[in-house]
This record gives sequence, C-alpha cells and structure tokens, in this order.
Amino acid sequence: MIEARDLRREFGGIVALAGVDLRVEQGERRAIIGPNGAGKTTLFNILTGELAPTSGSVRLGGEDVTARRPHELARRGVARMYQRNELFDPLPARENVALALRAATGPYRPFTAPARSVAAVADALLERVGLGGRGDAAARALSHGERRQLELALALARAPRLLLLDEPTAGMSPAETARISGLIDALERTLTIVVVEHDMDVVFRLADRITVLHEGRVIADGTPAEVRADTQVTEVYLGKVVA
Amino acid sequence: MRRVVAVAGILALAVLLVTFPIWTADWESSRYATTILRDMLVLAILALSLDLLVGVAGMPSLGHAAFFGTGAYAAAIAAQRLGNDDLLVGLGAAIAVAALLAFGIGLFAVRAAGIFFLMLTLAFAQMVFAVAFQAVDLTGGSNGLAGVHRPTLAGLDFNGADALYQLVAVLFLLVLVLSWRIRSSTYGRALAGLRENERRMRALGYDTTRLKLSAFVLAGAIAGVGGALSAYSLRFVSTNDVGVGRSIEAFVSVLIGGTGTLIGPVVGAVVVLYIERVLPSSIPFAETVLGLVFVVFVVAARQGIVGLAVATYARVRR
Repeated sequence: MIEARDLRREFGGIVALAGVDLRVEQGERRAIIGPNGAGKTTLFNILTGELAPTSGSVRLGGEDVTARRPHELARRGVARMYQRNELFDPLPARENVALALRAATGPYRPFTAPARSVAAVADALLERVGLGGRGDAAARALSHGERRQLELALALARAPRLLLLDEPTAGMSPAETARISGLIDALERTLTIVVVEHDMDVVFRLADRITVLHEGRVIADGTPAEVRADTQVTEVYLGKVVA
Repeated sequence: MRRVVAVAGILALAVLLVTFPIWTADWESSRYATTILRDMLVLAILALSLDLLVGVAGMPSLGHAAFFGTGAYAAAIAAQRLGNDDLLVGLGAAIAVAALLAFGIGLFAVRAAGIFFLMLTLAFAQMVFAVAFQAVDLTGGSNGLAGVHRPTLAGLDFNGADALYQLVAVLFLLVLVLSWRIRSSTYGRALAGLRENERRMRALGYDTTRLKLSAFVLAGAIAGVGGALSAYSLRFVSTNDVGVGRSIEAFVSVLIGGTGTLIGPVVGAVVVLYIERVLPSSIPFAETVLGLVFVVFVVAARQGIVGLAVATYARVRR
C-alpha cells in the first residue's frame, strides 16, 4: 500500500530522519513507536505531503507520490488524524464532517446550497464514532475525548485507503482511551492503518506489526512479539516505560 | 408564514431603496440625500466584496481598492476611448480588468496568510497606485479622468441623477443577493472552512491555493463593479480610487459593521460615509470621530455593529 524508501529529512543542521524505509501492506495495521524526537511526526508529515523529504521516495499503491501536495494525497485516499486536533472550531460537529464529505465533489458551486443528504451522511458518521446526537454542538464545545472522536470522523469521512493516526489517545483519560482504541480496532480490516502511539497497551492491541524509530532511524521492525523480545528496543524505549 | 412576512418585508425595503428619489422628492434635501445614499451604496458594494475575503474566507486584504480603482478606470476609459456608453461594455470592461488584475496579484498574494497576506496586498495595491499615478496618457495621472460619460442600456439613459442612483441601487441589491447566495452555498462553506483551518482543508483534499485565488478574483471582480459605479456617479476617476485611503475606508466599513455578517459591511459603509460626509457640517473635528469609533470597535466590540446586535438579540430572547 505505502512504501517509503531511504527517507531523509534535515531541518537546518538537525537530522530528523536519517534514511527510513517503511513498507506497509494493504490491510495491515502498523504501529510506529519511539521516544520523543525519533522522527515519527516528521515521517507522517512526509507521508501526507505536508513536508517534502530532503531525499528518498514515497510510493502509494505503486505510484510515486514523493512531494505531492497534501490535497493530492488526500484525493488518492490518504487521511490523517493529527496529534493536535485540526478541527473547524466554531462550526458545528455536523458541518465539520460535512466539509470533509463535500471535499469529494469539490467546492466550486457558488449558487447551490449544500445537499441535504450530506447532513444525513455526516450524522451517520458522527454516530459511528460515538458522537451521535452531538451534531449541533460547535467543535470547540466538545470535551477533549469527543474532539478526538470528531478528528477521527474527519479522517474517515472520505473513505480513505490509508489512515494515518498520530497519537490517537494523546491526553485522554483511561475511559476515553478505551473508547477510541475500540473505535479504531473496529474499523474495516481492508483499511490500511499506520498509528503513532505512546500507549503500549493500545499499540499491542491494535498493531499487526511494529516499527521502532530512534533518532531518525528504524532500529526494529517486526511482529509485536518480536519487537517485545528485541533487547535494543527495550533499552531505548520500552525499558523506560516499564521501569 | 413567518418566512412569507420576512420575504415581503425585504422586498418592500428593496423597493423603498430603489425608489428613494421618488418618495423623497418633496424633501428640501432630497437631491443631497440621494447623492449621499448613492455613494454609501457604492462603498457598500466595495465593502461587501472585501468581506467575502476578510469575513468569509479569513483573508484580510488591505489593498482592495486596487480592483475598485482599476474598475473605475476601465469603465471611464472604455466610455472615452471606445466612444461607447453602453452599460454592459463599461461594466464588462470594469469586471474583466479588475478580475484579471486580481488574478495576477492573487497568484502571489494567496500563498501568504494573515499579516503577510495583508502586507502583500498593501504592497501590490501601492504598485497599482504608482502605475496609475505615472501612466498619465491612460489615467490622467494626478489630474485624473474628468467628465466620465454616464452609461445607457437598451434605451435607458442613466445620465440623470435619479436614474443613476437607481442603477446604483439595483446593482447594489444584486451584489447583496449574490453575496448572500455565495455565503450559504457549498462554495461559501468551503471558504469558511479555509478561514477556520486551512491545514485541515488541505488534508481533506481541498486545493486551498486555488480556492483562495478564486475568492480573490471573485472579490476583485465585484469591487470592479463598485469602481465602475463610482466613476459613473462622480463622473471622475482619480488615483484616490486606487489609493490606500480607499482600501482602509472599505476595511474600516467591514470591521465597524461586523465581519462575516452579510449586512454588516453595508451598515459599516453607511456609518463611515455618514461620519465622513454628513457629520462635518454639524460638528467640528468630525474626521477624528471616525478614528475614535474605529478604536472603540477594535478594542471593545470586534464583532461589529451587526455582530453586536445579533448577540444582544440572542441574549434577550433567551
């Protein structure tokens, strides 16, 4: 589904990614873990086209999409849940989702009001992420957990092929964490998911395979069991969590 | 039923506006009032077009007079050089030239956001001003173009003061309806999305650069209509019409009236021109009042007159 080859990205003199290879198969659920500053978000920014790599390439479904712009990748089925919510704060939750849905048909209709049917689809999607009945509430009026659910709804609205989740449970209470990881776990198995996450319970629950990033390099890549057994990983990352 | 009453009320207001010179004919000051109202409506067209950028799409342009003034020059020059007074020719020229200029400037300006967008639009407008000032053969330079012909359309002659007022009023209403339609359309909602979160819009698959450029061109074209009407109204075009003063006048109208409220920019234009043109005859230092009013709104009431009224009404009802 998506394949990154030898991705490098430097900011001034700082190397954020020092040659990362990543290959995620169709329908696979991949977790990317690593300490802060390992390059996880930089990698996501490159995969969604928000950032161009200094060198290296990205292929999506066989097509070279290196340095394509974000909207072009979105149209090819890449969707993202941001680490810090990117919502339309003063707009109702329903309109947030409707904006995502209407992206498919394009904005250039200056004289026609939005179709009513879109609102119904939006409500159904809100229901699906556990926000049923909250459609009229402004995004900014939702609780933190609800805002994360809305963020997930925006990512799902265009029926993506590849879903990138950047710390979906960040800042959540245990109950909220359980809810959102349950939602993600229940998504179609055909959907390819790459998730960056610090909560190891969530990682081991969701992931088919785990990639460990450290200082801009992949230091381990394998099934959860393999990664758990890897001594280097334990040293740089897991050890800190357990200790 | 309430909808019918509302529509009937709005239609009645529209008719009253267009027939203003007729039902005020007995007033001693009818002619003066008509002139002031005409100029208010011209500024309101400019403010409405600017609010499409500032209030709807979240693009604070401080160079919007560039398109207003270019439209004014285009209408005047078309009448003068082509020797054709047809309204469609003059208005068509104004729209085409203003839109083209907006496209050219927009290609660069829309890549910046916020304060940088504001500075870029200001800088480009100053370039347009400089060109208008120096291209004496075309624009009359600092003398401007005087004696602009008023237009005709299919046997209608807009040479008389009342007829021209009615032309302005009708076009103002058209622009108002257009602005209203655009705001509630799929397109307007997308512009609102741009205002609230451009990054998310991109991630959803919107080509935001193109979207912003389209809004910039549309707003420029409508400003061009306002410019043409200004040229016809005053029979005169000068560098003032492309100058930063006119841009600020429009921007202040939008802010005082209330950004993104549709009717706010109209209210703002009325207030601004009242302070500039009517007040000086009754109190000294009237120009200072505009500055004071502006400061008060920026400090204490950013939602503007209409925004404030809507909020108050909502509180009273609850």
